[in-house]
Amino acid sequence: MAGTKSALVLCMDVGFSMSNSAPGEEPPFELAKKVIQKFVQRQVFAENKDELALVLFGTDSTKNPLDRDGQYQNITVHRHLMIPDFELLEEIENQVHPESQQADWMDALVVCMDLLQTETKGKKFDRLNVALLTDLSTQANQDHLDVIIENLKQAGITLQFFLPFPAEDDEEGGGDSDRRGPGHPGTGKGLSREQKESLDLVKHVMLSLDEEDGLDQVYTFRDAIEQLCMFKRIERRPMAWPCQLTIGSCLSIRIVGYKAVTEERLKKMWVTVDAQSNQKEDVKRETVYCLDDDNETEVKKDDTIQGFRYGSDIVPFSKVDQDQMKYKHDGKCFAVLGFTKQNLVRRHQFMGSQVVKMFAPKDDEHAGVALSALIRALDELQMVAIVRYAYDRRSNPQVGAAFPCVKQDYECLMYVQLPFMEDLRQFTFPSLENNKKLSPSDTQLSAVDSLIDSMMLVQKDDDDADQKDIFKVHHIPNPAFQRHFQCLHHRAVNPGTPLPPMEPWLKAALERPDVISERCQAPLEEIKRKFPLIEVEKKKKLKTSAQIFGKDAEEPDAKKAKGDEEEDYNLADIAEGSVTSVGSVDPARDFRTLIKLKSLPFGEVCQQLTHRIEQLLSNKNTHYYMKSITCIQAFREQSVKLGNADLYNSYLQSLKRSIPNRRLEVFWDLLVQDAITLISKDEVEGSTVSKNEANQFLVVEEKKEEAAVPSAEDTGDVDDLLDMM
Amino acid sequence: MKSKRKESNLEVVRSVYTSKIISSHRDLVALVFYGTEQSKNPRNSFKYVYVYHDLDEPGAKRVQEVDALRGEKGARLAAETMGSGETSLGDALWCCANLYSDIKLRLSHKRLMIFTCRDEPHRGDSAKDRQARTKASDLKETGVIIDLMHLMKPGGFDVAPFFRDIVSQPEDESELGLHLEPCDKLEDLQKRVRAKEQKKRAMARLNLCLGEGINVAVGIYATAVTARKPAAIRLYRETNEPVRSKTRTFHMQTGSLLLPSEIKKAQTYGKKQIVMERDEVDSIKKFQDPGLYLIGFKPMEKLKTHHHIRPAVFLYPEEGEVKGSACLFSALLMKCSERNVFALCRCVSRRNYPPRFVALVPQREEVDEGKVQFTPPGFNVIYLPYADDLRTLDPPQCPSASQIQVDKMKEIVSKLRFKYRSEAFENPVIQQHYRNLEALALDMMAPEDTEDLIMPKVDQINHRLGPLAEEFKDLVYPAGYNPESKSVAKRKTGVAEKKPKAEVPEDELRAHVQNGTLGKLTVPVLKEACKQFGVRTTGTKKQELIDALTTRLAA
Repeated sequence: MAGTKSALVLCMDVGFSMSNSAPGEEPPFELAKKVIQKFVQRQVFAENKDELALVLFGTDSTKNPLDRDGQYQNITVHRHLMIPDFELLEEIENQVHPESQQADWMDALVVCMDLLQTETKGKKFDRLNVALLTDLSTQANQDHLDVIIENLKQAGITLQFFLPFPAEDDEEGGGDSDRRGPGHPGTGKGLSREQKESLDLVKHVMLSLDEEDGLDQVYTFRDAIEQLCMFKRIERRPMAWPCQLTIGSCLSIRIVGYKAVTEERLKKMWVTVDAQSNQKEDVKRETVYCLDDDNETEVKKDDTIQGFRYGSDIVPFSKVDQDQMKYKHDGKCFAVLGFTKQNLVRRHQFMGSQVVKMFAPKDDEHAGVALSALIRALDELQMVAIVRYAYDRRSNPQVGAAFPCVKQDYECLMYVQLPFMEDLRQFTFPSLENNKKLSPSDTQLSAVDSLIDSMMLVQKDDDDADQKDIFKVHHIPNPAFQRHFQCLHHRAVNPGTPLPPMEPWLKAALERPDVISERCQAPLEEIKRKFPLIEVEKKKKLKTSAQIFGKDAEEPDAKKAKGDEEEDYNLADIAEGSVTSVGSVDPARDFRTLIKLKSLPFGEVCQQLTHRIEQLLSNKNTHYYMKSITCIQAFREQSVKLGNADLYNSYLQSLKRSIPNRRLEVFWDLLVQDAITLISKDEVEGSTVSKNEANQFLVVEEKKEEAAVPSAEDTGDVDDLLDMM
Repeated sequence: MKSKRKESNLEVVRSVYTSKIISSHRDLVALVFYGTEQSKNPRNSFKYVYVYHDLDEPGAKRVQEVDALRGEKGARLAAETMGSGETSLGDALWCCANLYSDIKLRLSHKRLMIFTCRDEPHRGDSAKDRQARTKASDLKETGVIIDLMHLMKPGGFDVAPFFRDIVSQPEDESELGLHLEPCDKLEDLQKRVRAKEQKKRAMARLNLCLGEGINVAVGIYATAVTARKPAAIRLYRETNEPVRSKTRTFHMQTGSLLLPSEIKKAQTYGKKQIVMERDEVDSIKKFQDPGLYLIGFKPMEKLKTHHHIRPAVFLYPEEGEVKGSACLFSALLMKCSERNVFALCRCVSRRNYPPRFVALVPQREEVDEGKVQFTPPGFNVIYLPYADDLRTLDPPQCPSASQIQVDKMKEIVSKLRFKYRSEAFENPVIQQHYRNLEALALDMMAPEDTEDLIMPKVDQINHRLGPLAEEFKDLVYPAGYNPESKSVAKRKTGVAEKKPKAEVPEDELRAHVQNGTLGKLTVPVLKEACKQFGVRTTGTKKQELIDALTTRLAA
């Protein structure tokens, strides 16, 4: 919840049993560490006031305040309660290792409770929580169980368990394995006696804390990792805007407005820093003013005044005068101008960037009743209030509509800004329907009809009259933020390495759902047949991607042919001996020439060529991609000719590896289209690549992506769990 | 533009000038008088034609020059400079044709307005009539639209005998059904419009991709954009000439200018600075190439009113990019509208813009009785919020109103019904600005009054409601409740708060100082204590107050 602050202890088992795993499975220790890392990352980037502590148990040493008389051994308070930072992340990365002792998880829990109680003293926290990550392999001491549960209840500490195996096999096992592919690790192994006993104990504790939903707070490592891969939603504390709704001068109702919907931006901006020192203090930006003469004479800012264009003239109009003469008003206001039918306020004429919800003040029952009367009256009449809205004295007044909103558990008015006359652009467009040349035939219309049928994103449930929406945009986290934090995190943890590719789950979340994609195949084919779409040729370079793709297919062939011609022509160059290195104008030709001349060793010429290719690729432009491809073709052709495949093959392999990081997918597709692959044994004897491998080389990438998609499918309803954490 | 000088004609001319200056100052305007005694035209080849203003961008000076011809004084001035002579509309039209042809710029449209009150300018001189007709048709052939702005005259102005052949006829329904209404109402011109005219221009041309290889070319148009005051221009104080601004980035220590390659971008999280190259920052934002990609369809009721984050834009096919686009677009539009569904698309509107989801809401064409389009056909593009854009609110628990209360409010609502039209409200801020500017430019004593159309007409509302307001208040508010006052509850707590604010006895304070327990007291109490002992503090932080008090009382 926004505006609240919580204290959380991560309590992780690092004892020796955590390193045990069935063959082919990741040990629980690694999984638990991942959970903690992901969680801390999210906390760091969320930048809220939540504080975190880290307690390890099963450690070789003992370091905790309760360490006395051989009690509470092998438990280490690694970090006290504080706001998490990258230091903590680095510590987890480098200092948390599997150790060789075992400790009682119940003891560890007591240490955590003690830590929460002592370290939150004098600070206000809305939530206290302990998250235990363990495989439950140790026998837990049950002596003080009742006391512990009582203490947890009293202090209001909530518990979460993260285990390598699900708490309830019988119910979850079957259903989940369908969805997530391979079953949870550890489930197949069978639990030890200690684990079974401990699990019962966990259930007992959780159910005594919360009779109904206690077991919802027991997670598997796998689930947690999956859910934590998403960065936290940006949350802001809603700011109350108290005002009065007025109808004329006699009737007013006290209201409080809250921004309910607005395009959220990242809280932090990029700061410009010096490339060498990484210091922002080293960089200064300055704006200077200069006259429009030949010398560009600079003038001081104080020597300038402001003016406005009035036709061909510019009228000097100082800030002071402007402030004095400008439109002034009485400040904060929410005044009804009148009421109108809802359908006269068109959805596409909504202006501004927000929706404000108006409630009655929390402590004012009478205002609540009065506002409710207005909301219900509008709702029953299907009308809206047209209002004058001014946020405060300094801001410009708006005209807007207040829509009634009656929900099961609350009522409110929703305010949206409407346009002024000056905002509207009354463009007219040629009629579509009355134009015989353009109007679709009946068969064409029915093709569109069946397309719509196949692509409906709502499903009717048999037992429910309601339609289920299978693609809720407002449940998708803003992909720009997710990607932003992913890259920031990557750079922070792995400085000096290229940015990672997009997370597969994120990519999948933005795509058409699989059900729809399958269902619409045939109708789409039908559309393709019924509606001829012909791209109009234009001399100008076209910009949209699809148009570029359309052309790419042909161009390489044309260039290939050119390449052959040039070979003859190049002989003239050779005679003159003008080519000494691979230049940037026509690197492929220079390369061929130099190979022929044999003036430089093959390896060096190749290096020069690959250097040019890299330069070309850094331009991210189809034109340069084409040029790079002719270079690679030349590289391949000459390598085959000389029977030296190694340099070419290793370059192509490293190029392929760097594709995702350098975002060169478009280029790679071109390469695939031209089937420029590795040099196989069949072509050059010395090659270590088989013909099959060479063919596979271009295909692999696609398959990987396909495989990645389904695993990331399940991204719904994550918020709830994350809120609880 | 021509005018027979006449007081009311001049008024219209003035208003055309002032409107043009604000709506589209780049348009060229000329003012030509005919039937004058003196002649003044480019090669002085026409008699009785006086080019008062050549074709040029209008400015304040011209408005003042038109003003100079108005009134009694103006009439005298006009008589001196131009006088009155023979009328030859043919010559005047010819002269105008020359003005047009002397302009080297390519003009998007040319318009000629004839202001007159005489329906037979040549008094039946058929030769002159014929000459005028020939010239008019020449002008029309070069794409000039001729309008007649005639004044009422006793006996009525009869367009038929002469001017019918001069003015441009409303075009026949063109192939695409677009036609310009001839503006033949003087009143329309007199109504001053202070809004910047916007050219119809596509913000972007994209492909709407339905599936592999099915790309419909579409243009995106902004049909409603928040208008702002035009930007100020910086001028040099001495000469009032515009100055240019240059922004540069340099190194603090060395003072040398920094090239883009010598700059990186950084953000700090969790006490760690994270640095990226500038192109990496751009590449993070890139997901796909620009375009609209169809995800599926949803029934209209799934489009929630409150899912609004920015003004909608408008989609119309671009037949010029992909032939066949209009047909498929039209079919989609018809079917979506018929079935009351919208298309959900992923939209990347520009290079390096992250994707947004949009609802394409069908909009059928609507025309009025005169077959003039008032709603164009196409899709409205509604931007949809992501999870991050919805804020979690904690709505207060309030009792609902009873049906009697609701019914009373319904009466109030019905009393104040009106028909909302989006173009009915002018922005008072912008209107005031333009009037101020006008006043300054034309040396007026005071700017014209602005009517604030978004001010509630309180008196009218009160009058219409009559006793209803009181009746409603009696139903919902208890006696003595005043919604105008600041929060009632707050005042109570305000009073309650004040009590502990009262002074702490001196010995108690000294005890706190000795024990070092001043921190237990609240900031208001500490402030009060400071006042009490005449301690001056610069800061308002608790520790500063404590420190100040400690030094004073320990001494």
